Amino acid sequence: MNSLVLLMVLPLFAAFIIPVVAKFSSKLALFTGPVVLCINLLLIMSAWVKVGSGAHAIFLGGFLPPVGIVFYIDHFSLLFSGLIASMVLIVWPWDAKESRLYSLYMLLSAASFGLALSADLFNLYVFYELLAVATYGIIAKQKNSSATAASLRYLFISSAGSVMLLLGIAIIYTLTGTLNIAHLATMTENLHGFAGLSAFALIAIGAGVKAEMFPVNSWVAEVYGTIPRQLSALLAGLISKLAVVLIIKMLLMVFQVQAAFDLLLVVGMLGVISGEMVAWRAKDMIRMLSFSSIAHLGVLFIALSIGGSKGLWLAIAIMLHHLLVKGGLFLMADRFSGHFDKLKGLAHHSPMSAAVFLVFILSLLGVPPLPGFWIKMALVMNLAELGGGLYYLAIGVILLATIIETAYMFNLVQTMYLKADADSTPLNKRYSASYTFAKLFALLLLVSMVFVSPISKRLKDIANHSANPQIYIHTVLPARYLGEKS
Amino acid sequence: MTLLDHLFIVVFSCLIAISVVRNLPIVDKLAPVLYGLILIMLVRMASVAYGGDAYLSSFSLDLLGFKMHWQFTALSWYFAIITLVAALASAVFMSGDWGRQYREGGGNYGMLQLALIVNVFSMILLLGSGDLLSLFIGWEFVSWASFLMMVLSPSKLAKKSAVKYIVYAMTGAMALMVAIVMIYAVNDSLEFEQISIVFAQMSGSSQVALVLLLFVAFAIKMGLLPFHLWQAVAYAETPGPGAAFLGAISSRMGMFTIVLVIVQFIGLGGLKSVGTSFANMQTLLAWVAALTTIIPTYIALQQHDAKRLLAWHGVGQGGYMLLGIIMFDSIGSAGGLMHVLNHASYQAALFMTVVAVMYRTGTSDLNKLGGLVTQMPLTFLVMLIGIIGLAGLPPMNGFVSKWLVYRSLLVNGQPLLFVAAVLGTLGTILSVYKLIHNTFLGQLRLEHQNVREVPWSMLVPMLGLSVIVFITGFMPGLILPWIASVQESVGLPVIAHHLGGIEYAKGGLDMIWVSGILFYGFGVGALIFYFLGGKSKRVHQYDNYAGGHFLTSDVRYHYSNNFYPGLMHLIGTWYRGSFQWLENSIVSVMSFFSVFFENIYRAKQPVMLLLIGVVLALLALYRNLGVGA
Repeated sequence: MNSLVLLMVLPLFAAFIIPVVAKFSSKLALFTGPVVLCINLLLIMSAWVKVGSGAHAIFLGGFLPPVGIVFYIDHFSLLFSGLIASMVLIVWPWDAKESRLYSLYMLLSAASFGLALSADLFNLYVFYELLAVATYGIIAKQKNSSATAASLRYLFISSAGSVMLLLGIAIIYTLTGTLNIAHLATMTENLHGFAGLSAFALIAIGAGVKAEMFPVNSWVAEVYGTIPRQLSALLAGLISKLAVVLIIKMLLMVFQVQAAFDLLLVVGMLGVISGEMVAWRAKDMIRMLSFSSIAHLGVLFIALSIGGSKGLWLAIAIMLHHLLVKGGLFLMADRFSGHFDKLKGLAHHSPMSAAVFLVFILSLLGVPPLPGFWIKMALVMNLAELGGGLYYLAIGVILLATIIETAYMFNLVQTMYLKADADSTPLNKRYSASYTFAKLFALLLLVSMVFVSPISKRLKDIANHSANPQIYIHTVLPARYLGEKS
Repeated sequence: MTLLDHLFIVVFSCLIAISVVRNLPIVDKLAPVLYGLILIMLVRMASVAYGGDAYLSSFSLDLLGFKMHWQFTALSWYFAIITLVAALASAVFMSGDWGRQYREGGGNYGMLQLALIVNVFSMILLLGSGDLLSLFIGWEFVSWASFLMMVLSPSKLAKKSAVKYIVYAMTGAMALMVAIVMIYAVNDSLEFEQISIVFAQMSGSSQVALVLLLFVAFAIKMGLLPFHLWQAVAYAETPGPGAAFLGAISSRMGMFTIVLVIVQFIGLGGLKSVGTSFANMQTLLAWVAALTTIIPTYIALQQHDAKRLLAWHGVGQGGYMLLGIIMFDSIGSAGGLMHVLNHASYQAALFMTVVAVMYRTGTSDLNKLGGLVTQMPLTFLVMLIGIIGLAGLPPMNGFVSKWLVYRSLLVNGQPLLFVAAVLGTLGTILSVYKLIHNTFLGQLRLEHQNVREVPWSMLVPMLGLSVIVFITGFMPGLILPWIASVQESVGLPVIAHHLGGIEYAKGGLDMIWVSGILFYGFGVGALIFYFLGGKSKRVHQYDNYAGGHFLTSDVRYHYSNNFYPGLMHLIGTWYRGSFQWLENSIVSVMSFFSVFFENIYRAKQPVMLLLIGVVLALLALYRNLGVGA
């Protein structure tokens, strides 16, 4: 079990060794990354079976909690680790000639694995920063001025966010004297006052920069517009979710308080409305997808505000669905993108890609019987069961957003089915590997439509387990701390 | 396995079959056979329409803790049989020559066939829904199926109006979802019965919200005011037989759900309990219906495109259906329900005649047609029968249903609504006359001299439908038992009927007598004319005189442009496009907010946004909690 540390260590090691390897053979450097990721995938699969319905903690460096570094392994963190490994594999820059880019991707994966597995705030912060550094590097690698500008602005907002995150962590440390999440979970009463909750607010907003949270998401459209589509797929599909995982850990283990839920609910609703409204005016494919992505992260925050295992399973479902759909859409955009007018006649050039596009957006809109419908249905029903004006408002916001989304998405579809004219250059490339993956994503979506029931049951099991602070505490903390508590 | 299971299996197999063979020539022969097969399945279930028990499906689904099952009541059966007859007629109409021309014109004929069966499938699914969730799913299916049908036409306008439609339809679906959520939140159940249980427990404002949400959802589908803007253009732009099918039955799914949900489970008592005694929900809905009969009808009067004209009437006629059913008495509701079938029959026939004219002349512009009666006599006959039905005159079926609605309005002491309904009928008569006059009467255009009657593949469904229009008008007793079963199954007072019409204490109706006297009158007139010296002389169509002058065929004297100038002089200023204005203002408000948010995202100093966000969040927390620990 302890071999799972390798998940984080191997890519980190690879990141440093790749530039050296590249001196001898660029081929070898190119393949180091995918090999590491494949090993990781195998590790994750074996751990998935071994962990079963239980949980496992890894103590690094021989220090026991609450002092040392802890990795917490359960199906939730393994699920995300698996997604990281597969997504990075999918978007691996095969055609890039620079070995430094491979290093950055490896660094990015190491940080992501760390974020998914870490069980203390200090490490979460370290990996969060590492992730940020890797992302700046990758964005700045694009050799055009707009990418540099976007990267710089992203750096500003993101480092400001990191400061907020650090501030929140500092407040928590001042209040409790520990940073181990399990340890924090045993002393929640210290944290449920104004000071503790303001720490949560700072953490949420700080991590929110990466999680495309309103109002700290103004970088999204600019950055996604300038980087390669595969990378947008990675950032929008997965990295944004990892920042959410950080928030989830804090929310479910420590801050199960109405005020925290309300905060997420409000920023969620604002994100949904603002994202959809701006996407509605967008005339460019990537811009539209970026803002629609902001809106869907908003829906995710709304789901989290339900709290407990119900909120978590919905959040996981939304994340997986959004990963498939938005990831797929960005991957498709590798083959065609740009101003809507350029996309005229796409459906006649490539009926298949128009069909795949339709599958994605129909699921995004929540049209039965696609998975998106069941998620939306379950989300709305759960919100209604909670009652209360704010939750009903959230239902209204989600459904209003669906209407707006229909309007702009089908405006684009309509354009695709028009006759091509002189300006339209529907297809940038005849063939693209990303497009193949996008088709695979669409297929997965259709397959999961058939297995809605078993999948949702599985997700509920995972959520039930992961949203339970008691399991977390008992797995991580040594017995004497538990004795102290009772 | 129940008969309902068989029906679903057959419909689904037909869907698969047509989607497989849709691009092969055999689809022309196969599609009508398949619709006939589904029709036979329905006929096997006919007992439900004669007072038998509802059919339940033997399977149900349990997804995410939501249970779904299906059932077929008299109400479902009644709408299903109309759907299938309309689909069969459309399928026959499009097979053969029309389809060939459509394909040659670059149309995707296979997709049209597929769209038709998808529509039928989703409608059967909706009609068979047994709880709120399956209702919602069926509802979305129907919306997207109509969208598929509308978007097939290559014209840019068609695509635009289809997108407009789907935005409206999504709005309706989301309203329905909120309503369902409100019901579900109380008892965690999605059964239909919960509607009345939950409604009774709700507070006054929630009741208003629930009824309005449900009504908005259904009204959008049906194209009732003020949600009517999407319908006419979208239907008119749909490829020929598709328009006939959609115009006949698609939007009536809104009527089905109104009867199923609002009439059956909220009921008259429920509607009356919401609001004040002066203006309760029933009054509101009745006036929505009345305005729907008037405004779209007079918009139809303005149209100069035959398909648009008919489509606008389709919107207007929905008002009569609601007006009848909302009276909640035996004759009114019978009139409203019957009008669904009657409207479907003549509307499909009328659309087909217009498509037939387009098939031969290439246009449906009323200003470019005229005098086709000698070239296309049978099409003319069908249109004549159709417009008599649409105008609600004896002896066609439209008269029966409208008579029942009028009668109910008078009996229930609603003279103002009655006047509104009559106003609507007046507009209908004027505009259908414009339709037949500009198409078939008057001067034949030179370029249409060689136009011939359409082939039999198109004539047969048209004639078949007009036979239905006449027979159900002559002997309404053929379908009144179905209506009575529907009324019984949804808990309305049941109408007393016989073959010729209805028995009613305050004056019944016997169409056999009415038609008999009508034909007797015509007969006497004809006798007088032919035996007492009436002479007729057959002349050539171009042999015309006006004011003593011989008119050659190149002189345009066929009066079509600016029809009814006197009337338009009187009422022309009333056409203000207020609803269009309303729609545009909603879009403007949206743009305003959208620009506002766009500016937030464009902020030069995003870190400022972060700080503002942090400060606001802390402020909110502080106000909630105060400085504690």
